[in-house]
Amino acid sequence: MMISAFKNFNLGRSVPKSVAIHGVLMAYTVIALFPILVVIINAFKERRAIFRDPLAMPTMDSFTLVGFEQVLLRSDFGLYSWNSLVVTLLAVGLVLLLGAMAAWALTEYKFRTNLLITFLFAMGIMIPIRLGTVSILRLMVDLNLVNTLTALVLVYIAQGLPLAVYILSEFIRTIPKELKEAARCDAVSEYKIFFCIILPLLKPAMATVAVFTMIPIWNDLWFPLILAPGEETRTITLGVQQFVGQYVTDWNSVLSALTMAIVPVLVLYTIFSRQLIRGLTSGAVK
Amino acid sequence: MTLPKSKSTPESAVEKKPIPWHIVFFLGPALLIYLTFSVYPLLDTLILSLYDEQKGQSSFVGLQNFITLISDDNWSSAFWNALANNFQFFIIHMLVQNPIGLLLAVLLSSPKLRFSGSYRTFIFMPTMLSVVIIGFVWQLLLSPIWGISENFLYHLGLDHYFDAWLGKESSALITLSFISVWQFVGIPMMLIYATLLNIPDDIVDASVVDGANPMQTFWYIKLPLILPTIAMVSILTFVANFNAFELIYAVKGALAGPNFSTDLMGTFFYRTFFGFQLQEGSATMGAAVATLMFLIILVGIMLFLFFVQRRIQRFQF
Amino acid sequence: MASVKLDNIQKRFGDVQVLHGIDLDIKDGEFVVLIGESGCGKSTLLRLLSGLEEITEGDLHIDGQRVNHQSPAQRGIAMVFQSYALYPHMSVYKNMAFGLKIAGQDKQAVKLKVEEAAKKLKIDHLLERLPRELSGGQRQRVAIGRAIVRDPKVFLFDEPLSNLDASLRVKTRVELGKLHQELNATIVYVTHDQVEAMTLGDKIVVMNQGRIEQAGTPLSLYHHPKTEFVAGFIGSPKMNFISAQVTSIESDSVQLMLESGPTIRAAIDGQTLKLADKVKLGVRPEHFVLATDEENQFQGRVSLVENLGELAYVYVNTGQNAESDIVIKLDGDCQYQAGDSIRFAVAAADTYLFDKAGMALPRLNKA
Repeated sequence: MMISAFKNFNLGRSVPKSVAIHGVLMAYTVIALFPILVVIINAFKERRAIFRDPLAMPTMDSFTLVGFEQVLLRSDFGLYSWNSLVVTLLAVGLVLLLGAMAAWALTEYKFRTNLLITFLFAMGIMIPIRLGTVSILRLMVDLNLVNTLTALVLVYIAQGLPLAVYILSEFIRTIPKELKEAARCDAVSEYKIFFCIILPLLKPAMATVAVFTMIPIWNDLWFPLILAPGEETRTITLGVQQFVGQYVTDWNSVLSALTMAIVPVLVLYTIFSRQLIRGLTSGAVK
Repeated sequence: MTLPKSKSTPESAVEKKPIPWHIVFFLGPALLIYLTFSVYPLLDTLILSLYDEQKGQSSFVGLQNFITLISDDNWSSAFWNALANNFQFFIIHMLVQNPIGLLLAVLLSSPKLRFSGSYRTFIFMPTMLSVVIIGFVWQLLLSPIWGISENFLYHLGLDHYFDAWLGKESSALITLSFISVWQFVGIPMMLIYATLLNIPDDIVDASVVDGANPMQTFWYIKLPLILPTIAMVSILTFVANFNAFELIYAVKGALAGPNFSTDLMGTFFYRTFFGFQLQEGSATMGAAVATLMFLIILVGIMLFLFFVQRRIQRFQF
Repeated sequence: MASVKLDNIQKRFGDVQVLHGIDLDIKDGEFVVLIGESGCGKSTLLRLLSGLEEITEGDLHIDGQRVNHQSPAQRGIAMVFQSYALYPHMSVYKNMAFGLKIAGQDKQAVKLKVEEAAKKLKIDHLLERLPRELSGGQRQRVAIGRAIVRDPKVFLFDEPLSNLDASLRVKTRVELGKLHQELNATIVYVTHDQVEAMTLGDKIVVMNQGRIEQAGTPLSLYHHPKTEFVAGFIGSPKMNFISAQVTSIESDSVQLMLESGPTIRAAIDGQTLKLADKVKLGVRPEHFVLATDEENQFQGRVSLVENLGELAYVYVNTGQNAESDIVIKLDGDCQYQAGDSIRFAVAAADTYLFDKAGMALPRLNKA
């Protein structure tokens, strides 16, 4: 009797245990995906079919694109997406460039205010930039930047820099000293050392930073709502929020609008998930 | 901003070091943007919270705004309500999100688990989407009009428990908390999972050789080694929770209904700043709310740094 | 203390067969060294013994009891890992006490055992430290201490010295030898370092591609390697292998013609050979002597001299047909320089001979 209990104690995974583990993980996977899938499926169905059987796949009878037509007709989804794209790419690009330059300066050169500035950036990782919204709005009014994408880009750069500087600094510290010392012996200028030697080496860390910076910017509602709510500068997140709020009873339109916001992100996520997860699990964020 | 000091008086000292232009070049742009759009607004907000503005006239009022917030009849109930709700929101995350994240991470890190990559990818998926989108998705799913949730519970024989959870004062905040937990469970899962992967196999083997069963190995070896990560996840959760806004705004609007039962500091801040219904927006009162949020978050971070981080060293293997 | 018996032990990972049937008897109190190149299966075998890895086929007995399905603790083994695998969040004391605590022993007994083991290993002043506050050598001792307190039937060591620097490695090796005498314990020790194997082992087991190539005492492996592989593995610098052809077979020796020219007489039992067979002559560097006018002469040109002071390794190119330089071990005060011509010889009794399949032919005149 005892022997049977000892048996299989260390056989990697005994079968029932393995089944239990897969059971739990699969159940949670369903919980995670189900709500999203329901929305996407029903976006392609007629109103009656949406209510009659929400879990059914669209059929020849129930299939319709009317919701998407409505969304495209009543709002400027193309423009919103374009705005989001411009803001996100500009902000992420500049965070990467300026963040790398700053990280280099802070890790490579000794100067009096180095520690203070490093500390200031470190604070920004934890303290949300939103808390300064009152003054940011006033500042943007003074600079005449309200309802411009420039305002969003500037704020997002400020928002993204602290983490970028931190991660890139950690990475720069792992670059062997000999590389730059050899260059200095050859009288290469500091600018060239950075742009020709260091910057190319930072690529893997930059990918991680890019992902971490990009997601909150793309998904943000707060700053678009406050700094750039105008029709011309609306981002996709704000656009969807406004649209859904306005047509809340038009189920086809609401489901389609949500689907149009979800699907591109999921496609991009599926493509880059390996990179993202590697970044998350490599301990880049501590 | 002491760096450009030497710039202002370049000729004053003959033997002074030359200005390190390359440092200015590398650091300048980032520092300028960060100081202008993050550090300055934050400090300005803190100062603004000590002023009152009436018809364009600004006057220093000391701590009056804060006193108003916590004791004035028109303000205090809303403030304390938002604060209490926010703590409830945070506690639900701590009690539900992080344990589930831990459990999933432990399961995911089982040796030789097949499909672990796919599980990871799928479970993390909701985290990628905008809180706004997620809010709407769940609003639809929980809507009594659509009835999809009721139907679901019916199949489990639990349909009489169904209610318009999001519409009831007693259940709206808890429901929203669970929606948020559902969305963000991937973050603790990933961070803890990464830490578990970093525990060398040898250490786990050593504990098996020492006679520990899987539960004991987890309790005595793995758990102490992931405690620093759990502490970090907790502080991240704290900051994110006390900064939350979008979910409530998307599902319930700025009024955080029904009857402010889902009001958090974020929505309270927004209403105070921009006004709602009959109440006029006030930049100074908004600044005061933001300052309180800043202090709460700061205290949280300090507690974390002094009590948790100091005791739990990061272990090198 | 216990004996260990392995009977046709096999291990497969999926379709990959890693161990092809290992038979081995380990006597009570014996120090057995498993040696081989990386990937030969020695570490896998150790993990099978420990119970960390499941045995696919075959029987493992410890102390006469079949233990295939027992946990490491039930088997009564203790293991010292290459990385030491100390629990980073526990003090030295807690590291050593962990196994006893899990076994439910009472605190006082645990304390006595840990302190006794710590004293024996001279780490009793370190008990309150964390592993990261220790040097490499100290961590090593703690890892050994953690094994000792459990008073196991069998100690398993997985390359325990490979993370130490050279001088500490020699010192710890000596201490391990003493410890074995003191504890009189059954030890299975995995290494890829043949000096460790020769100095520590009562018995050396040479493994190659998942099989035991040869098992025996250090000296029997040195003098009578069964295969070319073992001959090459035991001894440093490596034995020289020189291609040759059999020209005559006598009762007490075999005549060979080397591809580089010279004729050599080897004191080998050549009954199984035929004339003109292709064979390999093996000569250890330490068995060459500078030639006077003896038989078995070689000549060539010195291509490199490595002088270690007490002795010198001289690399000699013996002509265009030679596959590689022959290494000769000479006195440190020899005056050879690169480019010099050199004549050297080997006694017939000091030669080894391997057939085409790499199997050794019996050596004569060697006990």
